[in-house]
Amino acid sequence: MNTGAQGRFLQRALPIAGVTIGVLLIAGPFLATIIRSLLVWDGDSVAIEAGNFLRLFGDPRFVSAALNTLIAGSCTTILALLLGFSLAWLVARTDMPGRSWLETANLVPFFLSPYVGAISWIYLLAPHGGLLPWLARTYLGVSLEWLDIYSMGGVIFVLTLFYTPYVYLFVIGPLRQMDAALEDAARVHGASFWYTLSHITLPLVMPALLSAGLIVFVTSAGLFDVPLALASPRGIRFMPTEIFSMVQYPSDLGRAAAFGIVVLTVTIVLTLLQRRFIANRRFDTVTGKGYRPRQIRLRTGGKIAALTLEAVYVGGGVILPLVALLMVSFSKLWTGRFLWRTATTGNFEYVLTKYDLTRTAITNSLFLALVGATWGVALAVLQSYYLTRGNPKRRALVDALLSLPLGIPGIILGLGFLILAIRTPLYSTLTIILIAYIARFFPFATRTVTAMFLAINPELEQSARSAGASWLQTMRLIVLPLLRPALIAAWLMLFVIFIRELGATILLYAQGTETISVAMVVLSERSSGYVAALAVVQLVMLLAAFAIMRLTRTSMSQG
Amino acid sequence: MLRLFSVMTLLVLLSTASAAVAQDPPAVVGAAADARDALRTMIEAAKKEGSVGYFDTVLQPETHDELTAAFRKTYGMPAGFPVRYTLSTTLNLITRVEQEVGSGNVTIDIASIASPPWINGLVRAGHIMQYDSPAYQAFGSAFAAGLGKPGYYAFNGAYIFVPTWNADTLNFKGKSWKDILGAVPPGRMSLNDSGNSATGLLAYMGLRSILGIEYFKDMAKMKPVFILRSEQTAERLISGQDLMAFGGMPTRVHQYNERGANLKFILPEEGVVLLGQASFILAKAPHPNAAKLWLDFTLSEPGQTILSKREALISGRSGFKSPLPEFAPPIDSLKLIKMDWDSIDQDAIRRAKAEWQSIFMP
Repeated sequence: MNTGAQGRFLQRALPIAGVTIGVLLIAGPFLATIIRSLLVWDGDSVAIEAGNFLRLFGDPRFVSAALNTLIAGSCTTILALLLGFSLAWLVARTDMPGRSWLETANLVPFFLSPYVGAISWIYLLAPHGGLLPWLARTYLGVSLEWLDIYSMGGVIFVLTLFYTPYVYLFVIGPLRQMDAALEDAARVHGASFWYTLSHITLPLVMPALLSAGLIVFVTSAGLFDVPLALASPRGIRFMPTEIFSMVQYPSDLGRAAAFGIVVLTVTIVLTLLQRRFIANRRFDTVTGKGYRPRQIRLRTGGKIAALTLEAVYVGGGVILPLVALLMVSFSKLWTGRFLWRTATTGNFEYVLTKYDLTRTAITNSLFLALVGATWGVALAVLQSYYLTRGNPKRRALVDALLSLPLGIPGIILGLGFLILAIRTPLYSTLTIILIAYIARFFPFATRTVTAMFLAINPELEQSARSAGASWLQTMRLIVLPLLRPALIAAWLMLFVIFIRELGATILLYAQGTETISVAMVVLSERSSGYVAALAVVQLVMLLAAFAIMRLTRTSMSQG
Repeated sequence: MLRLFSVMTLLVLLSTASAAVAQDPPAVVGAAADARDALRTMIEAAKKEGSVGYFDTVLQPETHDELTAAFRKTYGMPAGFPVRYTLSTTLNLITRVEQEVGSGNVTIDIASIASPPWINGLVRAGHIMQYDSPAYQAFGSAFAAGLGKPGYYAFNGAYIFVPTWNADTLNFKGKSWKDILGAVPPGRMSLNDSGNSATGLLAYMGLRSILGIEYFKDMAKMKPVFILRSEQTAERLISGQDLMAFGGMPTRVHQYNERGANLKFILPEEGVVLLGQASFILAKAPHPNAAKLWLDFTLSEPGQTILSKREALISGRSGFKSPLPEFAPPIDSLKLIKMDWDSIDQDAIRRAKAEWQSIFMP
């Protein structure tokens, strides 16, 4: 094969390989879950029937778990949309003081683990033992005992704090790009501020809001960590904790798989509805017409209200949890408040130098995050190439297929990989966890890289090829350097997600393959001090990734 | 000349023999003469296997560290010989073992858990390695009481769930399980999550047999908080979240009081359920020789001393003197609720679990 033919072959084969790997990564656990949900054992014989589904639907525990999940997912989505849109609007469209700092601060919760957030809020708001009720009682004479973090409200509160940045990231771009003349026209014609907001601004960012809402609903409803920490102690059932419980002895994998299929079906239907809604409307915010972004001047009262909102959000999502974690991590015995006489660095010493599990977990998490993010981005480049330069007739279908994992809760994907791998040498290895991570999260990277690919005119590549460069040379010397910001953003995003992942790992880990999040669950059942110290270590790693992102001026909102 | 040669040969042989004895680890030196060769062979095989791994539901990491150091020394294992350990909830441990034996893909060598009905099922299914540990000789009375199966498993320590409170926040003077009802306001007591804890469920079955179902229905009216781990139970008492724990562990009382807490417990007059932490080797254990050595060590006098001293576990060894009699009293000093472990099958467990859930999580 000559060099030209070889180049053309690689140009076609590599992106197709990337897409094929992506489809296989999704299809494997997906098919395993479907098949397992249809298999019913009777002694040694097995039949294909709907028994698992019938038992599931007849189980009041399923109904209660589904209902609670629906309530928490819906409330979290609504609150995160309100809060995320408000924060993005304040940063992007107003002259709120300290915007540049707050723009960064609003994003920090995205980098934190919701499980750590839930634990922190237990320290802060546990009835009769929380730091805030004690402070309020001691210094203000106010009783906060009616606030119970172990409740549906507690779950929604913590989920909202940690999912607001998703909405923020989705809408801040469109808000910045929006032509202020559209709003001006409405105001000139007598529309009030609220009328303009609801009839002009909101409809124009509706695609971003819908996409964000869908992702927040699906991922928050599928999150295992927060219900485990806040709902289980009160016996409140949620879909992920119920699936986890079904996998526990005496295991009912068939019913767990059936539950997973029900959730997947709902997710796919929601995704299709969202696509259909967007496809039937026009939402042009960027036109060829020149315009100048204009900031809305807030009055003093408006500025105070805006800064109060920011203080509540950044305080609740970042500062208070961090303070609580630090206090507990430096306490020999957590009595609900920090006492200097029991202060110690022993917890850090223990988790960093003495305890095998945490040392193994830190190494494993770093390995998974570094290798996983690299493979994930490599896969994303190939898939994005296909999605922007590949066969136009198949792109939409491929795009829809490759987007599927966005809606699959981690615990269901973990269940699929567990069913798939349990009888293979992959069981109980880091490799299966790595594969599950990439399968679950590669679409995040693919979307980020695709957005950048769309901005690169194919003529640049054609010029290079005309000048005699091979396809690989064109990729290496032209395309990849231009993609660099998106590659860094995608890599860091995957790194952060992998460091804090728990939903899939909790079903797949084994002795020696524990991750930081798993170690935190294990430690949270054992000692407040140890778990808080490990949470601080995880926090430092995630904030380091965040700092790198800011230093390299990488934007995550381009996807 | 011949005499000199004979003396020199004798000296060489003696020095070689004494060098061999000097190189032998304490376990070999202390073993019966006819068992030494077999033990040496087992130690060499264990070294070749390279590691051993066990799952446990009670031991704290510090205890594991001390056990590991003593184990390596006893058998002359290399300083870095890995002893992998995972502290797990009972249900998670059972799930993992079930998954592994079901798939034939076994990665766990040893498991220790207080769930005799489930372990007996594993024995019947041939999933537990048949091994007559030399340490079993000291467990005769425990076997006779139904707490173990010769050739398969013995318990490396037993524990009990008892009413526990923080003396800094509650002045409790009760002596009976019945005194707990109404002792604290609703929502201020924790309860083992028996829907998700195998040992919690067994304790419930035992207590239900003497207290009756109405007792637990009355307890449900106290709106307890459901907790899986005994460490969490203790921490919630210390931070003031709960005033009383229905099923605290003397083990944790000892460990947290050592760190400055002021926890108390009672041994209720109606009796307690003794939960023996049965240790067994899986039939397809990847490191069978190392696993046998580990099992032997944890059941031996030095191993039991570490477990009893650090974890306040009750030893099943005949004649064993507890270093912490206040927290780990001798078995014969306890009023035990009679449990017929052989008659408890999976159906009985399922029924008990459903009943518990209908009372506490309707």
